[in-house]
Amino acid sequence: MEFDFKTPQRQSVTGIVIMFADTFQGLIRALWAPILVVLFRMKSENYLLIALGFLALVVLTLVIGYLKYRNFTFFLDEEKQEFVLSKGIINKSKINIQLSKIQQVNINQSIIQKIIGVYSLDIDTAGSDKKEISIRAIDQSLALILKERLLDYGDKGEAVSEEKSEIISNSSSNAKPFIKVSYTTLFKVGITSNYGRTIALLITFAITLYQSFKDAISTFEIDETTVDSAFEKSAGYFSVGILVAGLLFLVLLINIIRTFIKHFDFEMIKQKQSLAIISGLFAKKNTLLNPDKVQITSYSQNYFQKKLKILDMNMKQASSNEAKEEQKKSNVIEVPGCNSYERDEILKLILGKIPEKGTPIQPNFRYLISRIFSAAVFLGIIFTVLNFSEVENITFYIPLIFVYLGLVSSVIYFGFKNNRLYSNENFVILKHGAWDVEHEIIEPYKIQAITTRQYFWHKGADVGHLTLHTAAGDVHFKFGDFTKIKQLVNYWLYQVETSKQNWM
Amino acid sequence: MEFTNETIDLDLLPKFEEVHFSSLHKDYIKVVYINIAIVLLIIAIGIGALIYFNEEMQQSLAYSIFGVSYVAFALVLFFSSVASVKRRAYAVREKDILYKRGLLSTTTTMMPFNRIQHVAMHEGAFSRIYNLAQIQIYTAGGSTSDVKISGIEKEKAESIKELLMQKIQNQI
Repeated sequence: MEFDFKTPQRQSVTGIVIMFADTFQGLIRALWAPILVVLFRMKSENYLLIALGFLALVVLTLVIGYLKYRNFTFFLDEEKQEFVLSKGIINKSKINIQLSKIQQVNINQSIIQKIIGVYSLDIDTAGSDKKEISIRAIDQSLALILKERLLDYGDKGEAVSEEKSEIISNSSSNAKPFIKVSYTTLFKVGITSNYGRTIALLITFAITLYQSFKDAISTFEIDETTVDSAFEKSAGYFSVGILVAGLLFLVLLINIIRTFIKHFDFEMIKQKQSLAIISGLFAKKNTLLNPDKVQITSYSQNYFQKKLKILDMNMKQASSNEAKEEQKKSNVIEVPGCNSYERDEILKLILGKIPEKGTPIQPNFRYLISRIFSAAVFLGIIFTVLNFSEVENITFYIPLIFVYLGLVSSVIYFGFKNNRLYSNENFVILKHGAWDVEHEIIEPYKIQAITTRQYFWHKGADVGHLTLHTAAGDVHFKFGDFTKIKQLVNYWLYQVETSKQNWM
Repeated sequence: MEFTNETIDLDLLPKFEEVHFSSLHKDYIKVVYINIAIVLLIIAIGIGALIYFNEEMQQSLAYSIFGVSYVAFALVLFFSSVASVKRRAYAVREKDILYKRGLLSTTTTMMPFNRIQHVAMHEGAFSRIYNLAQIQIYTAGGSTSDVKISGIEKEKAESIKELLMQKIQNQI
């Protein structure tokens, strides 16, 4: 059978039912609260009224569903090589998609669609908003042909299958690993990384434990104040010290265990055009990394790691819609505990050469002002809360304030000191972080869009913010010399716009 | 083979900050007025219902508190929306599209044509009265870099979209 997608097409006629079901579902989801109120408040005499109201709602939804069906058209413009979709009753939308930009076409079927015997066809580009480009009711044969036509342009389908077969063929062969992480290195990584996250986790755990402890006591009707004062007496500063030491020990232990589970027997194997990574204690995870797909390469190191001569590397890949749902974390590939030689080898593999740092830009001192201001506001909020909740001996908390001040000021100071933006013709490198000092490396042609921002009170001082949008996330540099930033932006735009290289 | 690799003088590159930006169509402010009116109406109905159903609130103190805060909110909403609409502007260059907006800050987003994924055109109910449309441009940079430009004349929006699609096609 010959199908003609050149003229605007409607969905299959039964699509009205799908449109009706969608609209009705949306309506119920939006109005469930008032509907429930009406149902419970109404007296029995008014049931007729409710029934009539319900009927009116159904009729209205049917009309909307029909209009949605009428106004939903799609066609394939062969001349311009684009797929055009128009929809909307009152708010009208027209979406144009260049065929070469289509990454995936998915054909799905929900329960309602199964009953009626239609399918939905979703088109995925690297852009966002999957729901935007979805045909909700289409015959299976038509869907398959349309899918074929949409993917005809370019050979994306083949490229995907090729990649998959590569995984299968190579996971069995025993190539020599090019990086292998030993147990001692894993141990070193365990004791030096992820402090912040683990401490936050432990604190929330401790707070919930303390709360439930208190709750248990109040249910046993023990006089709460005696327990509280007993607790506070025993928990003098000495015991606080022991508590902190215990906490530290626990943090280290958890981190070591986690590192071992995640990165046990970490191996990186060089293949023709990609890197295979195998790791994991319980579940062996096998990932294939294509250097072209990496958007941001980064390595980070803190003070202890510097002394132990290890560093962590991260490769961030483009995240498509599908990846977001299924394998959110595998978009970031982590290499734990490599030394600087191994780092350079990996960088050479991914970026083609070891990136040299270009001319640096450092943030203005206004960086400090803004951070100090927000830290002070946070302290103020905590104080007001403490003031209003009846905390008995506030004096107990005063040393904590000094701890907070010391911690925050060193974080702010080192964060400021470590913040740099290096750029040259091949690489943009952003250095940041107070404790874990991270270098994020971006090749300019992988930039998708650039945003600059300047508050009006920064105009006189010529200070502004910069955001580089890549397919693997955004990179921010704040409080930079705005004249220099503008100059760089013009240069990067020039680079992106003249680049012939494929960013993915 | 002809191969040149001369140093690029950064100061000679086209400067985005010196581009002439065109502001939104003058009728768009009317669409904004309608939207503000609707928002204020809904809030007014909400407050009215709250007072009507709660007898405790039917006293002059509550009336004055609601009244003053409502008027203050309405004024802030009105002036900030009007000011922010006036500060929105866009520019289409040979190889990229720029969009500038922001009330307290000036935010400029630059999207090179060869990184645009797809384009959508939306026509709202009120925008259609004044023959206006919104263009939404998607890149792989995700939702933070997607740009929506409202209040462009429909014909102009159509031609911008046409131009963008043409540029995307020429890339490959």
